Amino acid sequence: MDFINLLMLGFGEAITPANLSFCLLGALLGTLIGVLPGIGPTATIAVLLPITFFLPPLAGIIMLAGIYYGAQYGGSTTAILVNLPGEASAVVTTLDGYQMARQGRAGAALAVAALGSFFAGTVATFAIAIAGPMLSQFALSFGPAEYVALMLFGLLAATILASGPVLKAIGMILIGLLLGMVGTDQATGAERLTFGAVELFDGIDFIVIAIGLFGFSEIITNLERSGSAGVTVAPLTRLWPTREDFRQSWAAVLRGTGLGTMLGLLPGGGATLASFSAYSLEKKVSKNPQKFGTGVVEGVAAPEAANNAAAQSSFIPLLTLGIPSNNMMAMMLSAFMIHGITPGPSVLTNQPEIFWGLVASMWIGNLLLVVINLPMIGLWVRLLTVPYRLLYPAILLFCCIGVYSMNNRIFDVVLAAGFGLLGYVFRKANCEPGPLLLGFVLGPLLEANLRRTLLITQGDPGIFVERPISLVMLIATVALLALMIFPAFRKKREEAFQEEEA
Amino acid sequence: MKTIYALPLAAAISTLGATAALADWPTDRPIEMIVAFAPGGGTDIMLRTLAPYIEADLATQIPVLNRPGASGEIAYTALAQAKPDGYTISSLNTPGFLTMRIDRELRFDPAAICPIARIVEDPGMFVVQEGSPYNTLEELVSFAKENPGAVSIGTTGVGTDEHLAMLQLEESAGVDMTAVPFGGANEAKTALLGGHVTVIGLNVGEYAGSEPGQIKGLAQFTEERSILAPDLPTAKEQGFDVLMSSERGIAAPCAVPEEVRARLAEAVDKAVANPEFQEKAKQQGLALSYQSGADWAAAMPERLARYEEIIKMVKEGQ
Repeated sequence: MDFINLLMLGFGEAITPANLSFCLLGALLGTLIGVLPGIGPTATIAVLLPITFFLPPLAGIIMLAGIYYGAQYGGSTTAILVNLPGEASAVVTTLDGYQMARQGRAGAALAVAALGSFFAGTVATFAIAIAGPMLSQFALSFGPAEYVALMLFGLLAATILASGPVLKAIGMILIGLLLGMVGTDQATGAERLTFGAVELFDGIDFIVIAIGLFGFSEIITNLERSGSAGVTVAPLTRLWPTREDFRQSWAAVLRGTGLGTMLGLLPGGGATLASFSAYSLEKKVSKNPQKFGTGVVEGVAAPEAANNAAAQSSFIPLLTLGIPSNNMMAMMLSAFMIHGITPGPSVLTNQPEIFWGLVASMWIGNLLLVVINLPMIGLWVRLLTVPYRLLYPAILLFCCIGVYSMNNRIFDVVLAAGFGLLGYVFRKANCEPGPLLLGFVLGPLLEANLRRTLLITQGDPGIFVERPISLVMLIATVALLALMIFPAFRKKREEAFQEEEA
Repeated sequence: MKTIYALPLAAAISTLGATAALADWPTDRPIEMIVAFAPGGGTDIMLRTLAPYIEADLATQIPVLNRPGASGEIAYTALAQAKPDGYTISSLNTPGFLTMRIDRELRFDPAAICPIARIVEDPGMFVVQEGSPYNTLEELVSFAKENPGAVSIGTTGVGTDEHLAMLQLEESAGVDMTAVPFGGANEAKTALLGGHVTVIGLNVGEYAGSEPGQIKGLAQFTEERSILAPDLPTAKEQGFDVLMSSERGIAAPCAVPEEVRARLAEAVDKAVANPEFQEKAKQQGLALSYQSGADWAAAMPERLARYEEIIKMVKEGQ
């Protein structure tokens, strides 16, 4: 098989000592910035980009790619340990991961996250190698109409994220949609809900909301509950996952990997959408959906596998068509261009060592991440034994630095503090912030694509049922809605929660 | 209003202070370069690539600070409020810098910001899919004449270069087309390749650096053909009055002493002329076109008048 030879060529390139060390350096840096909230991979790569001028092309690109997928790993660490999503794609990991940590199972959660990510990374890397060009066609067939249908489905599925009453979940989604509208309207240039503040012209940053609603409000709640004694963490029962944990999570990892690989291809949402959807899907197929949010291992395994798979597969449109699917990939495109390489089909034929070398290094990078991260779990878990009065000012400090460094402005920090208070109110009212974040992410995409569709068709909504992908997703949405309204199902759902409350 | 009254006074005081500090400029501390866009954008990468060459010439350090948002207004406001001592400079981009004052009440006075040097002038252009039935602007226009509104043009938002170019073409050819806003050039390109829009606007720099065999150009919107695309006819050659290009450069507050601004301009000029930088610029598809701050500033009123005219036309049309 030709592809085996090419893959061998790639591994030959990737395991030269220089390339291997740049891969390790990138993975380490990525893990570090993933752990620090707010300091994202895009900014890090931008800063490091000029340094890669002095490296051979492949070494530079390998390092930058390492930072990217390393950050996906690191983001889950703080999400699990202190309920602080380091990256947008780690938000759902907090739901069950943090609960597991509080029950003394932080080690298991971290290990499942790392191993799930590794598995997903491996599968997605092979997907790039085998089916890259074919999958990129799937990405292109997603036009504005398909996005509208996908977003509608995603929003409805967001109600599944919450473990409380459906009505509250819908309320939170609507608040999320409203927050997503803040900023300059793309189609008309009009300001919406900015109250004249120039800092709001481009809308609110996801990190500001995530850190406020999750990080800050968690700290407030903890301090209120127990003063500076803080979180009461059950003693560590076991550092590694049990056989039972593996048994429960392997299917979730598989589903998360599949979903993540597909969603990672699509421009826009990428890893974030993938992790949200994987969590919703797990909850939907689970026999015990009411257990989600209380520390079930599938709730960590699925989104972590999905966001890592998506991080890898988002390289496909870039490598095969030369189109970046998100900001991060746009940075990678610049990195290629700086070295005089134009990503696209011609790279595959003219410089196969670049394409296959990168693909091979991704797999090696994923392996390195597991090797780096597994021994560190013991160290991370010990972080939980740090007295809370020392831990929470440190968390606050890192959050503030992270939020500030996004746009270098204090306004964002104040805004995040505001969202912290709002998050506290939501907690008191038993409203979960997960659906709010999903509404916030998907709302602007839904709106922009709905307007694009109707502009292109000059106001004819028929396109939504004429295009097959869009039609299928709309039918799925209606089916899901019917399921939710269907009385027997609703009764079962409510019973389940009453049991839980009792 | 308050800021405008306060400006001359503040400028006078700080000029006094700046003259005293001038003796040491630029070596006693780093010169901060504010970039009006997020890390990784074309302007950001261009300036990060250029900065080391200016650093070498001025024997100082130039850290880059990103202040993205409101299409540059946040960065320009920060620049206008900075001490005019030559230690704060920023990126400057047209048409954004010119068009933002037309419809919006700004938080800074555009007249208080002086261009130091233009580095890039990148013409706008329209492209279609490689397999598209349209090969020239003329063919596109004749289809649009028969089917008003059916031609969809992907832009990066209202008032951007692509949008303004489309409005000029509509006016010049007497046709009606549909602007479809996207989040960025890459999103628009994806939609074009998927066949979801007919045409998209790009810059010649982006076109020259793209994979061959995916897209073809219809026209570039310059007076004379760009060196990056010598085979692509201009809109004027095809009989349509469409002129549009985006320029990128560096600016400082006007209150910075003349000799400091001149020295900065000289350093940028030298850096842009450096063959090493030119090689990197070529790889990034940068259409280098150095122009001194004075020349650039002198050309701005005419451009501004043209943009005002276009935007007025749109408003009347609505």
